[in-house]
Amino acid sequence: MRRRFAPIAALATALCAIPVALAGSGADPGVSSTTILIGGTSPLTGPAASYATVARGAQAYFDFINAKGGAAKRKIEYRVVDDAYNPAQTVQAVRRLVEQDNVFAVFNTLGTEANLAIRDYLNQVKVPQLFVASGATTWGRDAAKYPWTIGFQPSYAAEGLVYGQYIAKTQKKAKVGVLFQNDDYGKDLLASLKSGLSRSGSKVVAAEPYQVTSPDVGSQIGKLKASGANVLAIFATPTFAIQAYVFANRLGWRPLIINNAVSATSNTMTLASEGGKNKSIEGTISTTPLKDPLNPRWKKDPGMKQYRAILAKYAKGANPNDANHLYGMAVAYETVGLLKGLGANPTRAGLMARARSIASAKNPFLLPGVSVKTGKGDNFPLQQGQLQRWMKGRWVPFGGLWTSKRN
Amino acid sequence: MIVAAFSDFMQQVVSGLASGGIYALLALALVIIHRSTGVINFAQGEMATFSAYIAWTLTVNHGLSYWPAFVACLAISFGGGVGIHRVVIRPVERGSVLRIVIVTIGLLVGINGFVIWEWGGEPQQLRSPFGTETYDVGGVIVAAHDIGTIAVALGIVLLLWLLFRFTKVGLALRAVAVNPDEARLVGVRVTWMLALGWGLAATLGAVAGMLTAPTVGLDPQMMQAVLIYAFAAAVLGGIDSPIGAVVGGLLLGVLLNMLSYLSQYGAFDWFTEELRLPAALLIILVVLLVKPTGIFGRPEVKRV
Amino acid sequence: MTARTTRIIGFVAFAAFVAFVAVLPSFIGDFKAREYSYVGIYLIALLGLNILTGYTGQISLGHGAFMAIGGYTTAILMAGNEQFGGPISGGMKDVWTLPIAGLVAGLVGLAFGIPALRLSGLYLALATFAIAVAMPSTAKRFEEFTGGGSGIQLFGTPELTGSISNVEIFGLSFSPNDWMYYLAWSIALVAFAVAWLILRGRTGRAFRAVRDSEIAAVSSGVSLARYKTLAFAISAAYAGVAGGLFVIASAFINPDAFPVALSIYLLVGIVVGGLGGLSGLVFGAIFIAFLPLWAQGQDLGSLLPDRIIAETQKPGGPAMVYGIVLILLMFAIPNGVGGLFRRIGQLISSRRYSRAK
Repeated sequence: MRRRFAPIAALATALCAIPVALAGSGADPGVSSTTILIGGTSPLTGPAASYATVARGAQAYFDFINAKGGAAKRKIEYRVVDDAYNPAQTVQAVRRLVEQDNVFAVFNTLGTEANLAIRDYLNQVKVPQLFVASGATTWGRDAAKYPWTIGFQPSYAAEGLVYGQYIAKTQKKAKVGVLFQNDDYGKDLLASLKSGLSRSGSKVVAAEPYQVTSPDVGSQIGKLKASGANVLAIFATPTFAIQAYVFANRLGWRPLIINNAVSATSNTMTLASEGGKNKSIEGTISTTPLKDPLNPRWKKDPGMKQYRAILAKYAKGANPNDANHLYGMAVAYETVGLLKGLGANPTRAGLMARARSIASAKNPFLLPGVSVKTGKGDNFPLQQGQLQRWMKGRWVPFGGLWTSKRN
Repeated sequence: MIVAAFSDFMQQVVSGLASGGIYALLALALVIIHRSTGVINFAQGEMATFSAYIAWTLTVNHGLSYWPAFVACLAISFGGGVGIHRVVIRPVERGSVLRIVIVTIGLLVGINGFVIWEWGGEPQQLRSPFGTETYDVGGVIVAAHDIGTIAVALGIVLLLWLLFRFTKVGLALRAVAVNPDEARLVGVRVTWMLALGWGLAATLGAVAGMLTAPTVGLDPQMMQAVLIYAFAAAVLGGIDSPIGAVVGGLLLGVLLNMLSYLSQYGAFDWFTEELRLPAALLIILVVLLVKPTGIFGRPEVKRV
Repeated sequence: MTARTTRIIGFVAFAAFVAFVAVLPSFIGDFKAREYSYVGIYLIALLGLNILTGYTGQISLGHGAFMAIGGYTTAILMAGNEQFGGPISGGMKDVWTLPIAGLVAGLVGLAFGIPALRLSGLYLALATFAIAVAMPSTAKRFEEFTGGGSGIQLFGTPELTGSISNVEIFGLSFSPNDWMYYLAWSIALVAFAVAWLILRGRTGRAFRAVRDSEIAAVSSGVSLARYKTLAFAISAAYAGVAGGLFVIASAFINPDAFPVALSIYLLVGIVVGGLGGLSGLVFGAIFIAFLPLWAQGQDLGSLLPDRIIAETQKPGGPAMVYGIVLILLMFAIPNGVGGLFRRIGQLISSRRYSRAK
């Protein structure tokens, strides 16, 4: 009998042997006199593993800050747990971070559904759900109901509205065809594009969804072309966005193309150009709040130089052209700013109070003029972006910064 | 108006054939491995993705031009297939079916992890050997790459037919698959024949990977969706029949596009994009139940 | 050893195990109790799958889909689906949904078991794999029933027992985590006993006969159709209950919570646990509950060199480890932990036998 259960007992003891953070006086869990522990999930495996580089970029930035002495005299420990993009696993991992690892805050957890799955819990136990890595509108809109949750990136709704307004302003009676991912992300962009077009002569004439489990979107692009659309809006992740360009080109279709920010890095656009043979990408319109790692415009920019240096030193082998790293650093930069302002005894409530009153205008990884701001009645940290046009192998900004007011 | 509608319809057929060509190539690899070793290889898609990455890294990181990289990739994949058989399949070959299933699933998960770990998760571009030209056939646009893909699939069918029909190796491969013990008695080197089957399948998978990547984009997940459709194609055509794999693939591609196309016009209006994958899987179930040998398969005698 | 002494040893072992399960939370702490509740949940699913695959010899790569059916039944009965335009208003307390979850999944299993009669071996694996793959998309398609991709939120609803406050029952007070643990394990132990009862009797013998040789089974009067579909139904019902508990533990459900990977884990779990035995399944359940964490060095962190931890925490790393571990396991313990036990048992008794000689 004993032999049979010895392994379980041994296992149990091993699993229990976890370090308990020694809290400084008056500080909340996760804070010791030398460290602040934050944690979050990220898909290191599974269908969304390409987004894991967001966490890697953030991690590299924290390592860089720690090497300089940390924030508020403490080192920032960022614990990333794999959730395989499965919300049930996110729930388990986050409860583990909160109840066992005693993290100070849950940070940068990726995915709309994953964050929805943990939001009620984190608000019940009053642990900050800081800078959610998802563009759903609910993170900012429902701040009153969920005071412990705050997003970061511009919402998909804001982005779609900008495209709609752009088309309404510049095109007469445009017929818009939309390729969208068949989930909240794609549907948010589509709905807000439509509301941006409202009361203009332009309208959406066809909207084709695709599933993430589809191998290709050739059939959808064929139908959108057949609909007679002269504007194509691509609300898709990089792989499918590249396909959309490839298929549009094969069909000899040359609409004005709008491409969502998720897929509009120079890296993705260069791939879509098929070595310069694909002409359909020329003149694509997109928007971004971030500097573009591949754009020669930022070659001598101190922020981008720092980005490449940090990545080279603290994330060996990471591809600096992958803008997810840059996003991770931008969000880590703001987090360091918050933590620095918390003083000797950081508290979770203090963190959220500061997260609701950010005024940060100089994030070195964001475009000049783009500021991170929250305040009374404004729970959307990033609400600005730059419209840009793809010309001769690079993004060219135009028309100044846009700022979303409503959401 | 009617002319335009007809060309739209034909465009959907052509696009279905193009997708079908992709399913067909991977289905061919599944058929070869099943025919020569009796295994259903869940890792076939990941092996093809891995091969495509090899071709990509040879051209991008090691400065090879396309065709040398293509040939090198085929050779490496063949070696890899033989290696997989020798190292991970052989130890479990004689055990229960379950162990083989789990080992191939272990390969699926492990290879996918390795590709992301080594080359990152973001998409890459692998160029097409057939270029990016397109032809306008009466308002319907056909891409050179898609014609090339289907031609390659048919060429492979012909080569396989010649191999199985007219060569000693082909005969031995067939013998091993039908009855390994008797084959051994008549002097066939069974283990090497099985390894050869894996090598061939991996090589075909490499062709599939290299011809799929230019269309759908090279990324670590590219073959996971294709694998399911390839299973459906292989089962539909007959899991032991190369020509069946190609016909099954093309048929499946066109069929799914037709459902989706017609649903716009009211027919099959229950069909939405979410059902594309379940529809393919329903085909697997129905064929397995109604005619397990598929369209081209020969009935198998059940051994006691 | 006579059959009688074996049975007595079995009873004592089970009683000791029950006692062990009962006292474990006081040794491992509150949060660990929550993690071990997942072991109980997986154990239920494995017990069911083992009846199908271990005892009747039918492979299922689709049991995650049966868990999903149970899970959705539980979630919809609790929260309703009127908010998405569905017909059910919900409002049922979580625990009471579990028998229904089992029943619904069992009926679906029965329905699937009939066509599955015509399939065997790899083809059945492929067909069930197809079910597992199709499930998430199908759940998204019927959004008015399932809430689509955004899923159904259960945390904090009155139907969920012990979201945050302690649970008072039988004059005892349980923390939410302890409550989840005892709920999962009570059901798991009952499920264990039921499986044992089913398998030791006539039905169990018929199952084994079907597995060992279909033709021999038929010639000795066992109805293949009846026992194969019965095994499917029982097995799916177990998965349904496990799925319901899984959703209660996660307090959330959407189609991504039941990926193909889950079905694969379950099959791996019974192979690790040792096909055709019950006691080893606990190890299978521990294996699938903790391997995802071990694969990224979360628990074994102090035992492994930092370099390895760093590599496994790179994207793709955990999957690589997972794949390698699966393959090595199939080499190292072909008959699972349960098989290892049986072999040790055989060694001991054969030594005794030779000594007696």
